[in-house]
Amino acid sequence: MDLFLEGLSVLLQWQNFLIIPIGLALGIVVGAIPGLTSDLGIILCIPLTYGMEPTMAILMLLAIYCGGTYGGSITAILINTPGTSANAATLFDGYPMARKGQAYKALSMALFASTVGGLLSAFALLFLAPQIAKITLLFGPAEYLALAVFGLSVIAGVSNKSIFKGLIGACIGIFVSTVGMDTISGSSRFTFGNINLMSGIDLIIALIGLFAISEIMMKSQYNPKTDHKQVSVSSITKDKITREEYRRCRKPIALGSLIGIIIGATPGTGGGLAAFISYNQTKQSSKHPETFGEGEIEGVAASESANNGACGATMIPMLTLGVPGDGATAILMGAFMIHGMVPGPMLFKEQGNILYAIMIGLIVVNVFMYLIGRVFTRLYAHITRIPYEILSCIVLTFCIAGSYSTNNRLYDIYIILIFGIIAYFLRRMDFQLVPVLLGIVLGPLAEDNFRRAMLLSDGSLSIFVTRPISLLFLAVAVGSLALFAWRNHKDKVKARM
Amino acid sequence: MKIKYNAEIIAGAVFVIAATVLWLLIPSQIQTLEKTAINAQTFPRIAIGGMLIFSAGLLIQGIFFNEKKELVITKESFHSDGFKREMRSVIFAVMLLAYCVLVTFLGFIISTAILVVAILLFYGARKWYYYVIPLAMVGIVYYVFGVVLRISLP
Repeated sequence: MDLFLEGLSVLLQWQNFLIIPIGLALGIVVGAIPGLTSDLGIILCIPLTYGMEPTMAILMLLAIYCGGTYGGSITAILINTPGTSANAATLFDGYPMARKGQAYKALSMALFASTVGGLLSAFALLFLAPQIAKITLLFGPAEYLALAVFGLSVIAGVSNKSIFKGLIGACIGIFVSTVGMDTISGSSRFTFGNINLMSGIDLIIALIGLFAISEIMMKSQYNPKTDHKQVSVSSITKDKITREEYRRCRKPIALGSLIGIIIGATPGTGGGLAAFISYNQTKQSSKHPETFGEGEIEGVAASESANNGACGATMIPMLTLGVPGDGATAILMGAFMIHGMVPGPMLFKEQGNILYAIMIGLIVVNVFMYLIGRVFTRLYAHITRIPYEILSCIVLTFCIAGSYSTNNRLYDIYIILIFGIIAYFLRRMDFQLVPVLLGIVLGPLAEDNFRRAMLLSDGSLSIFVTRPISLLFLAVAVGSLALFAWRNHKDKVKARM
Repeated sequence: MKIKYNAEIIAGAVFVIAATVLWLLIPSQIQTLEKTAINAQTFPRIAIGGMLIFSAGLLIQGIFFNEKKELVITKESFHSDGFKREMRSVIFAVMLLAYCVLVTFLGFIISTAILVVAILLFYGARKWYYYVIPLAMVGIVYYVFGVVLRISLP
């Protein structure tokens, strides 16, 4: 309770209440632009947070995350193109509603459902995370290594149907994390005699290259004449949601939020999957499933409550175990580290007040999101009018300035551009980038604890299977890989039939 | 010339070669005085060894199990839409690499302005304000980072 009150006092500063709406506005803009994701928004804004207090910085990034997840629904509803992958399920009924002249109603329901889902998820984070953190305080090096292996097993879920590609990606990430001076022996590793590489490759630099630059390169085949879709703002009427529609949507929103929280708290999943599961469940349990896909407001409510419902919950494994559940949380984890907070069991003990401020702040973020959405929804529709040619130049300028500002050296600009080209090749070869990111984030955790555990056990690997928590994590990691392989095999058999 | 390929064969082959080269570089790139079995070389060996094994697996999967596309290379192939699309990505990558050289000598403002104009020309932008907005943004970013964030860009 003391930490809760301390956190509240850290949060109650006017700067935090100023930065949250700014972050949300940015997040909604980024989310609403197809091709720019909330992940990218967070990456681009990390350099802007260097001079901020940790609470303020993280709240801004969380606001971008939540705002981006909601913002993606705007283009999903208006132009049948989801702003982010988390909003893909919103297309099914959001766009048909817009075609029926109910765009404003669909946007309002997306906002309402996103807010309810986000709020419930923020409460889940606030009450569940500290309880899990108490257990994780018992962890030693063996458990940490098992945890890192468990975190890496997340790649099974995000490998785009090819486990080999996911594993290669993770190996690339781990390799990148080893470049620079070894912290235990002081030996230089793969620096090729270059002094700039001695301190290793910064996480933010890798992130900008992997996600932002590769995204710009992926769009190099964009054709302004055929690929630019924009909204006619006059099509957004002012029809409001009726009381009866609110009543009908209560169950889908409750179910969607619950699914969002459960899926979000499971590493390797994310808001997109939660939205699809929630949409399916709502459709199956509906008395009128035939109306889904034809512009059913319950469909919008189900998917949007689930994807925002996952936002807070994805932070549970990240904050308590130091295991990022998806791309956005891996990036947020990097942001925590940049601001001197290492996610994991010790964070609650050492910086509990800041953490509580952030967790309570997430509730405030969702309240502000509703207010901003109510006022500016129509205005955000104009975002789709910005030509991609201009956007790509602006994003690239921010990437270059942001990467230079990390260490004040040109070398980082070279690295983001080279990483971007490599990541572009990986994406063209159907690789997912999240495994690479997981490798970079979890590599050092795995290596340090592996070496410490081996020192403690005099070189015996049995330490990892004789300690129950370590064994449990390793078993879950093996189990999730086996489950992936089985599901993949089943899909292939089904495809052959 | 006729080629049969898929993404698995290309990626598998590229990473088998890359991992082999990195593996051979380990003794010269990681010189450690540690005498223990687990040392500074261990984890890079695990990562690179893993990359080698999994990319070999990917290559085998691509050659024997996955469907392949057939590509017939003739003179006309170099004029096809597919080839032109691929070349656009290559040109974009070359522009980024050229920027690395330019920024070293000309600094942030001039080199980024050149890059912005090059990208807009690349996309075929014709309206004047398409050029003014991003160029103004380069100036704003330079000002915000230099004055507000006190980070002087090169």
